[in-house]
Amino acid sequence: MTPRAVPARIGAGPRGGVGVGMRIGIGVGAAATAWLWWYSTPAVSGPGGWLSGAGEVCGLESGYAVVILVLLMARIPPLERGIGADRLARWHAMGGRYVIGLISAHALLIIWGYAYQAHTGLISETGTLLTGYPDVLMATVAWFLLLGTGLVSARKVRRRLRYETWYYLHLYTYLAIALAFSHQFANGAAFVADTAARFWWSALYLAVAAAVVWYRIAVPARAFARHGFAVAGTREESPRAVSVYIRGRRLTELEAAPGQFFRWRFLTRGLWWQSHPYSLSAVPSDDLMRITVVDNEGKFAALPPGTRVIAEGPFGAFTPARSGRPALLLAGGVGIAPLRAMFASLPGEVTLVYRASSEADLVFRPELDAIAASRHATVRYVTGARADLEEDPLSADGLRRLVPGLAEMDAYVCGPPGMTEAAVTALTGAGVPRRRIRFESFEF
Amino acid sequence: MRRVIFAITVTIAGLVALLSFKSHFPERAVAAPQGQPPAPGGTPGTTAPFTGASAGKTLPAGERAVLGTVANTIYGPVQVQAVVRSGKIVSVRIVQQPSGTTEDVQIGQYAFPRLVAETLTAQSARVDAVSGATYTSGGYVRSLQSALDGAAGTGAR
Repeated sequence: MTPRAVPARIGAGPRGGVGVGMRIGIGVGAAATAWLWWYSTPAVSGPGGWLSGAGEVCGLESGYAVVILVLLMARIPPLERGIGADRLARWHAMGGRYVIGLISAHALLIIWGYAYQAHTGLISETGTLLTGYPDVLMATVAWFLLLGTGLVSARKVRRRLRYETWYYLHLYTYLAIALAFSHQFANGAAFVADTAARFWWSALYLAVAAAVVWYRIAVPARAFARHGFAVAGTREESPRAVSVYIRGRRLTELEAAPGQFFRWRFLTRGLWWQSHPYSLSAVPSDDLMRITVVDNEGKFAALPPGTRVIAEGPFGAFTPARSGRPALLLAGGVGIAPLRAMFASLPGEVTLVYRASSEADLVFRPELDAIAASRHATVRYVTGARADLEEDPLSADGLRRLVPGLAEMDAYVCGPPGMTEAAVTALTGAGVPRRRIRFESFEF
Repeated sequence: MRRVIFAITVTIAGLVALLSFKSHFPERAVAAPQGQPPAPGGTPGTTAPFTGASAGKTLPAGERAVLGTVANTIYGPVQVQAVVRSGKIVSVRIVQQPSGTTEDVQIGQYAFPRLVAETLTAQSARVDAVSGATYTSGGYVRSLQSALDGAAGTGAR
C-alpha cells in the first residue's frame, strides 16, 4: 500500500501562502532565464535566426525547469509542511511532462535553425551537431533518458511496473541532468562568453544538489543515528491490518503531529530497498511510535523485533487546524490510521465516524471505544456494503443524520480515493464550507 | 537482483563509452586560386580554419599581402588579408573569424568561401552578404575594404 496524501487546499491562512509564493518564485526564475537569453542575444535575423533563437530559449528554460523539478522533490521541510507531499508530487509530474516537451522542442528547433543557417540538410546538421559540437552527444543521450523516464511514468505503463522498479528507473533523471549540464556552457550563447551567467547558473544547480543531499540523505542518516529507530514488535489488528511498533530515543524532538506520516525503510532482506509512506496511527511517545498497514503479503507481520528502520519525516499537511471548533473525523477503511492518532489528541469536541465494509475490517475498536469513553467523545461505526444498506451513509443527508451540528465542525477525511471524494462532496452538500474540510486519500 | 546488476553494468559501460567520445568539428581547408570556386564537402585533417591561401608562404614577385583592420561584429572579430598583384586581387586569407561557439565556426565555413569567390569575381569589396551570415559578411567587407584602401594608398604595382 502506498498512501498518497492529498491535502485540502485551504484558501486563507499561512498554508495557502507557501504554495502561492512557490509558484510566484518559479515564475520569477523563468522570467529571469528568459531575460538571460534576451541579454545575450545581439540580434535575431532571418528564419534561421528565429528558429535557433526559439531553440535557445527552450533550451535555457529546460535547463532551469529540470532544476526546479528536482527542487520540488528534495523534501525541503517548509515546502513539505506548507504545500504537502502529494501536491508537490503532482506539480512535479505535470512539470515533468511539460519539460520533456520543452527539451524535445529545443533539440528539434536547434537542428532546424542551425541547418538553415549553415545551409545544410537536417540529417547532415544532426550528424554535425552530434559529432562536432562539444558535449552534444551526452546531452542527446540525456534527452533520450528523459524521454524514457516520461514513457515509464505514463499511467498505463506505470501500472504494470512494481513501484520499486519505476522508482529506480526514475533515478536515471539525475544522470540525465548531469550529462546535459556541460553542453549548456559549451554551446549556449548565454554562457560561452559570460562568466557571471555561468557562475549563477552553476550556483543554482549546486544549491539544489546540496538540498537533495542534505534533506534526502544527510538528515535521515542523522535521525537514524540520533534516534536509533528499530522494530519493537508487531500486532495483528484484523485479518489484513498489522500494527508495527517502532521504538527509538528522544522521539519528541521529531515534533510529529497527529495525522502526519513518515517514510519508512525497514532494513531487512526484501524490504531494505523500499521506502514507504505510512501515517502514525497513535500519538508518539518519547520512545515509541506506531504505524498500521495493510499487510497483504505478511511481510510486516514477519518483521523481526530489533530490525533497524530508517525513518524520514515527519511529513504531511493533514494536521489539526487548531480552530477551537468541534471536529468530525471521517475514516474509510485503513484511513482510520492517522485519524486514530488525531482522535486521541484533538482538543475539544470530537466525533469519529468509521466506515468499513464489514465488522471484521474494523481495527482499533477497543482503543477507539476507550478513547471515546475517557474524553466523552462520540464514535460511530458504520459497516456494511453500500448496496446492503438502506441509504448511503456517506451522502449529505446520511451525514447530517449521523452527526448533529455538522455544519459547524471542522472535518477531517481519510480513506481510499473514491471514498474521500464522495465524502468531501457529501460534506459540502451538508453545509460544511470547503475550506474547513481536510482530507488525505490512500491509494493501493 | 540480477536485473539490477545487469542494469548497473550496462549503465556504467555506456557512460564510459559516452564520456570517452571527443567531439571534433571537421575543419575544411580550401585553397581558392583565382576564379576557382571552393570544393564543397569537408576534408577533415587540417586544423586551421578556412584560409584562402596558406599562411606563411613567401609570395611570388610582384605580389603584396595587405592586412585589413579588425572589423568587430556582434559575433566576434573578422580580419582578412588580401594578396594583390598589379592592381588585381589574387587571393584573400581569413586571419580572424568569429569562433566563440562551434556554430559560429560552422557558419563561417559556409560563408567565407563564398565571400572570397565573389571577391575574386567582382575584384572589389563590393560583394553581396551571404544569407544567414549578415554580420560576418559585413565584417568581411569592412576588413577587406580597409585592406584594399591600404593597398591603393601605398600604390601596389
